[in-house]
This record gives sequence, structure tokens and C-alpha cells, in this order.
Amino acid sequence: MIVPFAHVLVVSAVMFVLGLGAVLLRRNLILILIGVEIMLNGVGLALVGASALWQRADGQVLVVFLMALTAAEVAISLAMVVAMKRRKGSLDADVFRDLRG
Amino acid sequence: MAHFHADFPWLLALCAFPLLGALACLALRRSDAACRVAGLVVSLVVLGVCGWLFVLLGGPRGTGWLLHEDLAWIPRLGARLTLGLDGLSLVLVLLTACLVVVGVLVSWRREKRAVPLFYALLLTLESGILGVFLSLDLLLFYLFWEIMLIPMFFLIGIWGHERRVYAAVKFFLFTLAGSLLMLLAILGVYLAHGHQTGEYTFALAALQNTILPAGWAPWLYAAFLLAFAVKVPLVPLHTWLPDAHTEAPTAGSVILAGLLLKTGVYGLIRFGFPLFPGPARDSLPWLAALGLAGLFWGAWVAFRQQDAKRLVAYSSVSHMGLVVLGLAVATPIACEGSFLQMLNHGLSTGALFALVGMIAERAGTRRLDELGGLWARAPVLAGFFLFFALAAMGLPGLNNFAGEFLVLVGAFRAEPWLGALGAAGMVFAAAYMLRLMQGVLWGPPRSAEPWRDLSLREGLVLAPLAVLVLWLGTHPATFQDPFRELARVLAASLGGAGGAP
Amino acid sequence: MANLLYLLLLLPLVGGLVNALVGMRLSRRLSGGLAVAAVGAAAALCLWLYWLADGQGTRVSLLAWLESADLRVGFGLLFDRLSAPMALMVTAVSTLIHLYALGYMRAEADHARFFALLNLFVFAMLCIVLADNLALLFLGWEGVGFCSYGLIGYWYREPKNADAGKKAFLVTRVGDVFLAVALLWLFASLGTLDIDALNARAGALAPAALTGISLLLLGGAVGKSAQLPLMTWLPDAMAGPTPVSALIHAATMVTAGVYLLCRLFPLVSLSAAGLQAIALVGALTAFYGATCALRQREIKRVLAYSTMSQVGFMFLAVGVGAASGAMFHLLTHAFFKALLFMAAGCVIALAGHENDITRMGGLRRKSPLVFWSFLAGALCLAGVPLTGGFFSKDAILLAAFSRGDAFHWSVYGLGALTALLTALYTFRLVYLVFAGEARGGEHPAGHAGHDQPLPRVMRWTLPPLAALGLAGGLLNLPAGWPMAGLLDGWLGPLGGAEVRASHALELTLMGVATALVLVGWLLARRWYARFRPPAQGGLDRFLLRGWMADRAYAWLWVKPYLAVGWLLHRGVDERLIDGGLDGAARGIGRGGRLVAAWATGRLSSYLTALALGLGAMLAYFLVRQWAGG
Repeated sequence: MIVPFAHVLVVSAVMFVLGLGAVLLRRNLILILIGVEIMLNGVGLALVGASALWQRADGQVLVVFLMALTAAEVAISLAMVVAMKRRKGSLDADVFRDLRG
Repeated sequence: MAHFHADFPWLLALCAFPLLGALACLALRRSDAACRVAGLVVSLVVLGVCGWLFVLLGGPRGTGWLLHEDLAWIPRLGARLTLGLDGLSLVLVLLTACLVVVGVLVSWRREKRAVPLFYALLLTLESGILGVFLSLDLLLFYLFWEIMLIPMFFLIGIWGHERRVYAAVKFFLFTLAGSLLMLLAILGVYLAHGHQTGEYTFALAALQNTILPAGWAPWLYAAFLLAFAVKVPLVPLHTWLPDAHTEAPTAGSVILAGLLLKTGVYGLIRFGFPLFPGPARDSLPWLAALGLAGLFWGAWVAFRQQDAKRLVAYSSVSHMGLVVLGLAVATPIACEGSFLQMLNHGLSTGALFALVGMIAERAGTRRLDELGGLWARAPVLAGFFLFFALAAMGLPGLNNFAGEFLVLVGAFRAEPWLGALGAAGMVFAAAYMLRLMQGVLWGPPRSAEPWRDLSLREGLVLAPLAVLVLWLGTHPATFQDPFRELARVLAASLGGAGGAP
Repeated sequence: MANLLYLLLLLPLVGGLVNALVGMRLSRRLSGGLAVAAVGAAAALCLWLYWLADGQGTRVSLLAWLESADLRVGFGLLFDRLSAPMALMVTAVSTLIHLYALGYMRAEADHARFFALLNLFVFAMLCIVLADNLALLFLGWEGVGFCSYGLIGYWYREPKNADAGKKAFLVTRVGDVFLAVALLWLFASLGTLDIDALNARAGALAPAALTGISLLLLGGAVGKSAQLPLMTWLPDAMAGPTPVSALIHAATMVTAGVYLLCRLFPLVSLSAAGLQAIALVGALTAFYGATCALRQREIKRVLAYSTMSQVGFMFLAVGVGAASGAMFHLLTHAFFKALLFMAAGCVIALAGHENDITRMGGLRRKSPLVFWSFLAGALCLAGVPLTGGFFSKDAILLAAFSRGDAFHWSVYGLGALTALLTALYTFRLVYLVFAGEARGGEHPAGHAGHDQPLPRVMRWTLPPLAALGLAGGLLNLPAGWPMAGLLDGWLGPLGGAEVRASHALELTLMGVATALVLVGWLLARRWYARFRPPAQGGLDRFLLRGWMADRAYAWLWVKPYLAVGWLLHRGVDERLIDGGLDGAARGIGRGGRLVAAWATGRLSSYLTALALGLGAMLAYFLVRQWAGG
């Protein structure tokens, strides 16, 4: 392996935390979705790294799954975002508070 | 039994058919009239099949199954579609079919909102009740037990009177509290049996022989008993009943009083007693005491009611108290009387609820101090009312007397005080029924506007019931024969002549 | 013969059912005629059966009714030496009263209900009389109760009438409970409800059980027969139409209690304590009724109290062991009391629908036929020598006296005193109603029917009953007379112990009775021959209101009953159970609102919570890893 596994892990952790930060701190729904994507890709990176380390295909298989899933998820969630924008005229996450107890 | 196809799963079909009818009602939702007709046709077909079964299988019968079906359902859990018909369930199934037809007919013009849903729920309810009376698999029984609950909840909650939501929620919570505990107990028996024999099954016949771990039986029995006691209802778990009965639409009250209350007693007989014979025997004195308490409590409180429907509702508490008393003294005569009384109470109270509904429809009120003078305005209707009120009061020659007399004879034999006190209930029954008659029938009419007397549809509801009431009052053997032996065996299994506190 | 016996029951039943189901569509003439025909045919049939039976009993059973384990009850009839004369009396008197009712109801619109109930009543009464088992008897027992209820409240638009019916039903049902318990007890200990078998096997019962059952039977009889302490319903029952009062509340239903005790006399007579209780209840009620009758102002209430008093005599007869004496008095009383009521109905109509005897007077001239008939009934009631009432009452007093111990002498004393009072109130009634001048003018005589002539059918049913009443003594003349003891001989062992008394004693007691009647008459003549406005003293009011029994019962039973009902309803059901559960539900709701504050609805706070939770879980696993490793 050219890149040490530890470096891979560090980069994926950084990506994950960055994504999490975006999800938690941003209020725009699209940016939150982008944060989720970054988190997912961080996890994917760690999986690929681990796959290369142990010379096993499981990690790659999982990543392929992950990519397919992400594509599907993005399609649906962007559609929902469009619908929500139409409904309330805003993409601010805090506007959607219908679940308040 | 020449034309009887024994291979056909009659019982399963009986349970499933109303459900199909319910789906048909939903499919026909564009036309209210079509839904009414569909409801009537389906319930009449069920009545026809039940009547036919009664003609074929009635008469003196032993204790075996008259019909028994066993089909695969959920093999991994050991749950099967086991259905069985014996003399007692035969009579109760017939009663169910009868009263659902009554329910359909009394709602004919009365319920105008969401008609398709109304009939769909009514038919689903019929499925649930028939299933409860037929299933011999505990999981299946539980399923039907809950199927009964949900349509009734909506019937009360949507088509009820002023305080319908309160009444529906109260009914739901009371019943659910009991039935969830019963589910736990069912699982307890199931696991104990599976653990012991390695064969996990919900079949009643197998679970009956389970040797439960020490100390479990009373608790499991208590859970079953609680579920059934809420439904019966036994004092002091009865307070859901007046609210639910009063607020329910007429068809709901008829079915609630005529059938749902019976499922409690039936459950006790079919599942509670056989699964836990020991604790059941120990509980008999308490049941007798509670039954007697209910007999007087219901009558006493009924006397204080101002709402005619509520009065009849409380009278149910009283009557069911007597039924439980008959079971609890565990003599063959008393048990037979209790079985008979279940049928009797279903008919006469069902008819009374239907009548109160018809009267309230005309008068626009159910309050006794605002009613009155019915005889002057609608003599035929008033005559029917008088007839059924007398039947409910236990006038000899009409149906309730036959059952009550047997219960009292049996109770007196086991423990004279119980019989004598039960007989004293006659005065209490007379007190509230006379008050009801006084308030509804006699006195001057409150206003001069004329009332429509009995319509043809109403006559079709009441006249057959009146014939049945008279038949049961003068020759109950027709309906008694199928379950005579069952009563004897039940009494023997509960400890013969004992059972007094 | 057997089928004919059924027909006897079925005739009034069918008559009643036809009138009940389609009577509204029939004309008055047809519906009334049908009712009369049904009962009349039953009477004729009964007479025929009487000849057919030729002194032999006969029993038939048709249909099984209640069967379970060893309980076997069927619709079986027993036509024996006790039930035959009773059935004959019931049907005969019913026929006359039905005829009378044709005239009485001539202006009522709702005739079908009246005739239906009247016919059904005859059916139920015949059930009591002819039943061969106690369950069927109980059917009749409750059946007459219901018919009585429906007929007392016949004019239901007046709530007062319906209330009187309700009261009658309820009070008699209290008695019915005792009868029902007696039934249960008898079945539990003897294993049968067949009347003959019960009488035959009664000796096998323990003495305590015998006494208990006798007292319970007495309780049942007391309710139906309006004896102390369940007597309060009878005076109010006079709210019903007069034929009803005549038939149900004088001739037949109120004597059902006596008949019950006679029917089971072989059983009851085994218990000395039971007999004494019966005698005591009878004597006390006889006295009570007579005192109350002294001060009543409504003609029918006077007769009601006198019925109570006379039925008390019959109980007394049973209690001193003279069942045949009781039956004798029952029969003569049925004749003359039905006569008195029917005549009273005529009187009320003649006086312009006036009930109050202090406002009548002078009616003798208005209708001599009614006067003479009423007088005949009154003579019987007062016990004037040689009338039917004289002989039957005398037989009872003789039986009581000849038992010869302190208890029975005191009972006799009470009976004799009652006989005096009876003569007094009877002649008071006659004087106030018929003597002197009409006093009706004191109130505005606006009643329309004032001068309407009585229908002929009402007037002409009176003489046959008068004849029966006056000649009723022939049924059972005392020893030493020609044709003596017909009824005693007929009933044989069913009639109870033979009364052993010397001829001299008998004549002495007759002399005493005659003297008492004479004194009563003279007192009445002195006080009432010339009208004086009634006194209003405390005692008068006390007697007028029947010793304040109604008020006492209201305090003793009705108010506590209502209070307990209120407590159970408002207190326990609504406040304790529902209140507790609603409180619990409210508590849960409040808890839910508390927790609901966490759900802000903001996505960011949910996500933060999610991340924190995840972090906490990760931290936990890391800590465990390190701690474990």
C-alpha cells in the first residue's frame, strides 16, 4: 500500500467530522444534504482503505452498495427538497417544525 | 346430513365471509344504497348458514365438536387456523348472526354519514365475533378478539351521540388493558408449553395439558380473567359499559350488549377455565360474590338513570351478573341456566336497545322525564316495548325467566343464600323496568304532533325477535339441548356442587 | 277430557291474544263480544268438565317447559276437588264481570287493550288455579300481577293511575320473591315442584325447613292478597276501572294467596309455627282493614279495605287449620264482593262520577235495582244471619274458637271485634250512599253523564251475583242443618282438620255473631242515618290514611333505596371509579406534555441530539474497550 492505512483513516475521519459539522451547523437543507454526502464518502473511504489493507473485497462491495444507495437517496431527497420549497417557500430547516410536541 | 359437504371449511368461510362483505362495501362506496343492500345480503347469508347449521346440528348433543377444522397458518410459530363448533358456540353463533341482521336493519335509514364505512365496520365486527366464538387456537382467538375491538371503537367514535369520543376511548382503553395482559398470559402459556415439550403451539387442546411452573398459574389466570371480566363486565370494571352503550349508535348498542358481553363469558368458559382449572376453582367464590354484586349494583344504579338507554345499559350489568353467578356456583342446572341466559339476554336487551333507538328517533330525546305517553302516540311500538321490557324483567313465559329460574335453582342447591339473594334481585329488576315503562309508555303525550307508528322495516326487526323470546320462554329445550351435556361437564370440572364462599 | 281441560286455559288466552294483536282493528262490539264469548265458553266448559270429572280428579301434561338435569317442569294441569270449584267460581264471576264491562266500557276508545288484558288475566288466574306444579303456578302468579298492573293503570294518561299500577306490581313482587325462594327451597330439598308430590312428601322435611318454607309461602301469599305488611297497594289499586276492581282486586287475584296456602295446605299444616303466623297475619289484617274502612271517604276504597279485611278472615281460617272454611269464605266473598264493586260502579255512575260517599246520599230512589243489589251484598259482608257471608265467617270464627287455647281465643276475639267493625262500616256505607237526600249539589255538578241511564247489561248482571251471595251459605251449612257440610265433604282431606265443636257452642257463637251485627247496625244507624259532615280528628286522619303505612314505608324503604342508588351511581361509579380513572388519564396527559417539550420540531436540535447520542455510545464502547483491555 502506498498510503499508510492510518492516513486513510485520518482523512476519512476529517471528512466525516466536516460533514457532520455541515449537517449540524448549517440550516439550509441542500447544504445539510451535502454534509450527509460528505459523511457517507468519508465512511466509504475508510471502507476502501480497509479493503486494500486486508486484501478482501467486502469493503469494496459495500462501497459500491453505498454509492448506489447514495444516488437513490439523493434523487429522493432532492425531490423532497423541491417539494418542501414549493410548500413553504423556504429551504431553512427550522421552518419545518410541524413535529413540535 | 345428506347435503352436507364435510370437506368444505364451513367455519372458516363463516368467519371470512363478512370480511369479504366488508371489502365489497368499501368497493361499492359510490352508492350508499348498494352498501346497505350488500350489508343486508351478507348478514342474511350468514344468518342463513348459521340457521342451517343449527337445523342440521342442533338437538341433543354430547360434548364433542360438531364441526372441527384445522388448517395451516403460521408454521414457524405453531399457530394454526383451528376452528371448532360445539353446542354452546352453535347457539352463540346463531345469536350473532341474528343480531347483526338486526343491527343492519335498525341502521337502515338512521345512519347517514359515511354509509359504506359503517357497513364495512359492522361486517368486520361480525367476523371478529364469529371468530371469537369459533377459534380454538389462542393466537387466532386473540386476533379475532382485537378485530372485534377496532370496528366497535370506530362505530362508537364516529356514529355515536354527544360524548362519543370520550366513550369510545374509554371503551378502547378498558378493553385493551385487559386484552394486552391476556396476550402476555397467552405467550406465557405458549412459552411454558414449548419449553416443556419442545413443541411450540397455540392450540388450545395442547396447551390445556401444560404443567405450568409453580406459581405461574394464578397470575396467568388472573390476566385472562381480567380481560374477560372487563368484557362481561364484572363490577367494578363495568363503568365503560354505560358510556359505551349510551353513546354508541343503535346498531352498536345492540351488538355491544347482545354479543360483545357474551364474548367475555364465553372466553372464560372456553379458555379461562380449561387452561387453569386449579385457579379457576379457587376463583369461583369471588366470581359468585362479584356476580351477585353486579346483579344488585346494576339494578340499583339502573333505577337512578334518567336516560332510557343508560338504564337499559345498566340492566345489562345486572343480567350479566346473574350469568356469572350461575357459572360460579358450578351446578349443572345453574351452568345450563347461564348458557341459556346468555342467549336470552342477547335477544331481549338487543331488542330493547333497538326499541329505545326507534323511540329516540321519533322523540328526539332519551330522557325519561321528557318521554312518556308512547302508548297514546304509537300503540304498536309501545306494545313491543312493553313486551320486551316484561321479558327483561323476567316475567314467566318469556325468555329471561327460563334462564334466571335455572340459575337460581342451581344456585340455591349449591348455596341457599346465593339462590335466595339472587331471587331478591327480582324486585330490583321490577323496580327499574317499571320506571322505564312508566317513563316511556304511560303518562300524557308531551306534544300533540302525531308519530309514525312502527314501520314495516322496524316490524321485521322486532316481530322475529318477539317470536324467539316467546319460544325461548315456553320451550327453551330447542336451544338448550345442544349444550346440556357441556353444562354438565363444565359443572363437573369446576368441582360439582361446591363453589360457595 | 284432557284436551278439554287445555281448552279451558286456551279459550281466554286466545281471546286475549286476538284482542291484543288485532283488537284495535275490530269494532267495539266485536272485541268486547269476543272477550265475553271466550270467558263465557270457558265457564260453560268448566261446568261441563265438572260433570265429566264426576268427583274424580284429572291431570294432564302437555308440553315440557323447563328441563335441566333432574328438574322437570311441564305445562301440566290438575283438575281436582280443590281446583274445580275455584275454577268454576273464577270463570263464572269473570263472565258476569266481562258482561258488566261491556256496559262499563261503552265510551272508552281503547277497548281492545282493556279486554285483552282482562282475558289474559283470566288465563293467568286459571293457570294459578289449575297448575299441577309450582312453576306453572308461578307463571300465573306473575301473569295476574302483570295484568293487574296494566289494568290499574288503564287510564294511563293520568300519571297517578300508572303510579298506582307500578306500586301494586312492585309491592306484590316483594311477596313474589318469597314465593320464589320457597319454590327453590322445595325443589332443593324434595327434588320436585309437582304439587301433589310436594304435599305427599312434605313429611320428609326437617321441622325447621317446614317452618321456613311455610313462612316463605305466607310471604308470597301476603303480597298477592294484600295482607299485612304488604297491604298498601290495594287501596291505591282502586284507580283502575271498576270491573277490574271487582274481578281482580276483590273476587279472584287477591284471594290467590289463600288459594296457594290451601293448595299446599297438607305441607303448611305440618308446621305449627307457620300456621300460627298465618292466623296472626290474617287476624291482624282483618282488624286493620276494618278500622281503615271505618273512615274512608271514597266508596271503592271502603270496599278495598273491606276486601283486605275479609281476605284476612280467610288467612285466619287457614291458620286455624280450616282450609275448607277458607275456601268457603273465599267463594261467598267472591260473589258478594264482586257484586258490591259492580254495584259501586253503578252508584258512581248514578252519582255523576262522584267517588266521595259524603257527597252522595239519596241514591235509593234513583235506582231501586242497584240499591237492593248493593244491600244484598252489604248484608252478606256485614254477616247478617242466613246470608252466605254469615255462614262462612261464622265457620271461621268457630274453627278458631274451638281450638281452645289462649292464642286461638285471642285470635277469635280479634275476629269477633272485626265482625262488629265490619257491620259498622258496611251500614255506614249503605246509609251514606243511599239514605237521606242527595248531597251532590254541594259541588258544581258539571258532569255530563249525570242523567245518562245505566246500560242494561250493567244493571242486570247484579241480581245473579246477589242471588249467589245470599244463597252462598248453602255451599257449606254448619252441622245440624239440612244439606250440611257440602264443601267440607267435597274437599275431604284437602279441607284440613275437621272442626270438633259441640252444637251448643256453635249456636252460642252464632248468637254472639248475630248480636255483634246487630250492635254494629244500631251504631251505624245512630251515627250515619242522618248525615253529618265527617269528623277531622287525628284518629280520623290516621285511619283515613291507613295507619300512615305509606308514609312509614316511604321512610323505611323508598328513601333508603333511592339514597343507596344515588350513592352507588354518583358516588362510586361516577366519582370513585370513573373519577379515579379520569384522574389517572389526566396525569398521564400532563406527563406527556412535559416530555413533549423536548420535541422542538427543529431539525438541527434533533440532529445534534442524534450526534451526541452516537458520540456517547461510541465513548461508552471506547471506555469499555480500554477498561477491559
